Amino acid sequence: MTTKAAHINDDLIEALRGIVGDRLSLAEAVREQHGRDESYHDAFPPDVVVYPETTDEVSDIVKLCAARDVPVIPYGTGTSLEGHVAALKGGVCIDLMRLDRIISVNPEDMDVTVEAGVTRKKLNEDLRDTGLFFPIDPGADASIGGMTATRASGTNAVRYGTMRENVLAMTVVMADGRIIRTSRRARKSSAGYDLTRLFVGSEGTLGVITEITLRLYGIPEAVSSAVCSFPDLEAAIETVISTIHAGVPVARIELLDDVQMDAINKYSKMDFPVLPTLFFEFHGSKNGVVEQVETVEALATDVGASDFQWAVKQEDRNRLWQARHDSLYACMALKPGSKGMATDVCVPISRLAECILETRKDIEETGLLAPIVGHVGDGNFHVILLIDTEDKDDLEICKAFNERLVMRALAMDGTCTGEHGIGYGKMDFLVAEHGEAVSVMRAVKMALDPQNIMNPGKIVRV
Amino acid sequence: MQMPQPDADVIARRAEIIKAMQGIISGEGVIADTDELRAYDHDGLMAYKGLPLVVVLPETTEQVSDILKYCHDNNVKIVPRGAGTGLSGGALPLADAITLGLGKFKKILEIDFDNRTVITQPGVTNLALTQAVEHEGFYYAPDPSSQIACSIGGNVAENAGGVHCLKYGLTTNNVLGIEMVLMSGEVVRFGGKHLDSGGYDLLGVANGSEGLLGVITEVTVRILRKPETARALLVGFPSNESAGDCVAAIISAGIIPGGMEMMDKPAIHATEDFVHAGYPLDVQALLIVELDGPEAEVEHLIERVDGIANQTGATYLKISQSDAEREVFWSGRKNAFPAVGRISPDYLCMDGTIPRHRLADVLKRVEELSQKYNLRVANVFHAGDGNLHPLILFDANQPGELENAENFGADILRYCVEVGGVLTGEHGVGIEKRDLMGEMFTEDDMNHQQRLKCAFDPAGLLNPGKVYPTLHRCAELGRMYVHHGKLPFPDIPRF
Repeated sequence: MTTKAAHINDDLIEALRGIVGDRLSLAEAVREQHGRDESYHDAFPPDVVVYPETTDEVSDIVKLCAARDVPVIPYGTGTSLEGHVAALKGGVCIDLMRLDRIISVNPEDMDVTVEAGVTRKKLNEDLRDTGLFFPIDPGADASIGGMTATRASGTNAVRYGTMRENVLAMTVVMADGRIIRTSRRARKSSAGYDLTRLFVGSEGTLGVITEITLRLYGIPEAVSSAVCSFPDLEAAIETVISTIHAGVPVARIELLDDVQMDAINKYSKMDFPVLPTLFFEFHGSKNGVVEQVETVEALATDVGASDFQWAVKQEDRNRLWQARHDSLYACMALKPGSKGMATDVCVPISRLAECILETRKDIEETGLLAPIVGHVGDGNFHVILLIDTEDKDDLEICKAFNERLVMRALAMDGTCTGEHGIGYGKMDFLVAEHGEAVSVMRAVKMALDPQNIMNPGKIVRV
Repeated sequence: MQMPQPDADVIARRAEIIKAMQGIISGEGVIADTDELRAYDHDGLMAYKGLPLVVVLPETTEQVSDILKYCHDNNVKIVPRGAGTGLSGGALPLADAITLGLGKFKKILEIDFDNRTVITQPGVTNLALTQAVEHEGFYYAPDPSSQIACSIGGNVAENAGGVHCLKYGLTTNNVLGIEMVLMSGEVVRFGGKHLDSGGYDLLGVANGSEGLLGVITEVTVRILRKPETARALLVGFPSNESAGDCVAAIISAGIIPGGMEMMDKPAIHATEDFVHAGYPLDVQALLIVELDGPEAEVEHLIERVDGIANQTGATYLKISQSDAEREVFWSGRKNAFPAVGRISPDYLCMDGTIPRHRLADVLKRVEELSQKYNLRVANVFHAGDGNLHPLILFDANQPGELENAENFGADILRYCVEVGGVLTGEHGVGIEKRDLMGEMFTEDDMNHQQRLKCAFDPAGLLNPGKVYPTLHRCAELGRMYVHHGKLPFPDIPRF
C-alpha cells in the first residue's frame, strides 16, 4: 500500500490553530528547514509545522491528523543522517523543541525525566550540581527525544552503551492520539512486552515520544585521555581488540586513519603525525585510570606504536576531543563545497581489520577522497564520502561504493547501520540484512499504526 | 486464579493431535501418558498445577516450525517450556494446549572468544554456559539463583536477572541475537553477533515476552572476561533504614559494585541456621557488597565502601581475604530461598522493583502488612537495583492461608507501583502477577502492548491466559480504524 497524499486544507490548519494558536508556521523557509536533516538526502518539506508545548497538545494534534489520514512527522534538532525527518508525503511536522522541561531529577535513584525537546548539552548543564551526568554523546547537540527515536550512540558507547541501554521509560503519543507510558522508574522490569526498547530506534514511525526517563551516571573521579599513532591500520585495530579482550573498561576508543588525521591537522591546526591513530579516554578512580592507561600503553607498544601521549589536563583533553568531534567538518574542508555522506557499518570485532582494510582498498580503487573514523571498540566505523551534490555522477559513484561496503559488512555478520538508523536512506539494506524479520517489523508497524500516518516511508515499506 | 475456559473441541481432537505430533517427532518425543505428563504439571510457581493436553519435545528448529505450523492451521494452543524453573507460572500447562518443551535443545553451537560471543541452543543451562567458557577466563554475567537448572531460552523469555545485574545488566542486556519460530511456523532471526542493528528492536521485544510471541530456538549471548579481582564486604546494620542509606550512599558515590545484596533479620537467621556462613545474628540488616575489577581499583573501592559503611552506622564489618571466604559470604545469600523453605512449609516470593531511595519506606510498609495479615515475612533483595524479594511465609494446609498470602503479596506489589516501581524486576508476570497488571499499566498502555501480540500471534494461540488479565481479539482492535468505510489495508489478509 502506498501512503495517501496529505489532505491538507484550510479546515485542518484552522483546527490545528485551535490547538496551538499561533505556534504554527506555513512559511516556505520554515517548512524547507523542517524537511531536511544534516545528510545529503533530498529535502521534503512538510505542509505545515506546529510547535506544541505539552504532551496533551501533541495528542490532540495526532488525533486530528488520524481523523483525516494526514502524515505526522516528529522533529527534534534535525541532526539525523538518513533523511528521517523528510516529509515524503507531506503532512504535519511536529516540532518538539518547545517541550523543553526537565521534569524531575532524582539524584538518589540516578535517573531523570525530561521532555523530548531537551538537548543533551542542556541536560548536562542542568545536572552539573548533582555530580551526575548523561553520557551518550553522538557529537551533535541533539534533543533527547531525537536521540531516543534514532537509538543514538556515540564515542563512549563502548563503556556506557547506547540509548537502548539508557532509557528506562517513556511517554508516547500513539498513532491514534492516545498517550501511553511504557514503564516506570525502576532500574529493571520484566513486566509485559518491552515497549521501551521497541520505541527506542523507531524513528517516529510508531508514535511521538514526548517524555523520556533516562539513567544517569556519577561523574568519574578521574578522567584521562591518550593519543597514539601506529605504523599501519592493522596494528591500530589489533590494539583495539587486545584492549577490549584485556577487559580494560575504556570509556572511548576511536580510530582515525591517516587521511582523517591530515584533515584534522589542517582544520584544527594540530600537528599529529599523519598515521593511523587511536584516541582513548579512561574513566575511573585515580589509581584505576593509571592502571588502565599503563595496560593500554603496553599493548600499543607491543605492536609497534610510537609516541603514546597521555593528557590528564582538562584543556588538553578538550582540545583532543574537539578535534575528533570536528572531524566531519574537517573532512568537508578537504573538498570545499562538498557534503559529507557518512557510512555506518558495524561488524563483529574479529572481522573489523579485514573489513576496514578491504574498504580502504575499495576507496583507493574507486579513486575517492574518503577518510575513515570509527567507534572501533564496538566494531562500528564511518567512511566520510565527500560528495559534490551538483555532480550526479559523483553521487552515484558514492552510493555504489556504500552499497559494496554494506554488502561486505553483511557478509561478515555485520549490520548496515551501527548508529545512524534507517530513515529512508537504508530501507533496501534493511531487507538484505534481516530477511524475514522485516516482515515482522512490517506487521508491528501495521499493528501500532494501521493507518500508516506516523512518519510514513521510513524503516519499512507498508 | 481464573484461566481461559479449555476448548472442548480441541480436547475432543486429542488423539488426532497426538498422531500429528508423532508424525513430526518420532520416538519418545511425544508424551501422552497421564503419569508421564505429571512431570510437567507445574513450574517453579508450585501453588498451581494442571495437566497439559500433550507434551512434545522436539530436537530441531524444523520440528518446532512444523509443530507451530500444524497448531496454527488447526487452532491448537501452545505453552512453551524451558527448564520449568520459572517463578511466575509462565509454563503452567493448559488442558487444551500442547506443552512444547525445549529440553532437547542442549548443544552449545559455537564459542567465539575473539568476539566474546557464544551461540547456544535454548535448553542449555545458564551455568553450563559459564562452565563452557571459564577455562579461557570468561563467564556469562546474568546469574539467577536457579542457574544450575534454568535454561538460557527461559532466561530470555523471562528476562532473568541475578545478583550481578546491577553492574552487568539483565538478560536483555547480554543477549545479542536469537532465532525464533513464529506461530505461523516461519523462522526469523533478530539481532546477531554485531552490537547494534537497524530497524525495530524486535530482539528487545522478544526478551521478557514470556512465550507469548514465539518459540526461541537459538540464542547468541555476550560473554565477559572474568574480573581480575573480586572481593566482598559483609556489613551489618542496626536498622533497615541505615542499611538502605548505605546502599544509596555507595551508589551516589559513583561506585557500581558487582553485586550488592541485602537481607533482613528473619532472612539472616534462617540462612545462618542452614549454611553457617558466619553471619552476625545481632544485626537487623546485612549487606553483601562485592567489588570487582583490576586489583588496584578494587583495593581503593573497598576502602571507600568501608568508609561509607562506617558513616552510615554499620555495627559489623568484615572484608573477604580470599576467594574462598568471599564464596562463604555469598553462600548464605544464594541459599536464602531453601533456607526459608526450612522454617516454613510454604512461601511466596515477590519480585517488586522500586526506585532505590524508597527502600526503607517500602520495608516499613511490608512490616505493617505482615502484622495486618498475621504472616511472617523474610526479605532478601538485590538492593543495588531496588529489586525486592519479600518471602511471605505461610502454610498451604491451613484453609485460606494461600489466599491470605497472595493478598499480602498483591498489597506489597501495589505499594511498589505506587512509589514509582514495577510489579516484577526479573521473574516475569506469568499468571502470578497477571491480575495486577492494571495497577501498573493503564488500559491504553495494555491495549498497545496487546497490539504487538497481534503482529506476532493474531489468533492468540501462544501461551494464552498468561501476563495479560484479559484475552484480546485482534480483529476487534482493527475495527476502530476503518475510516470512511474503507479498510485501511485492503490487500492484507484479515484475521
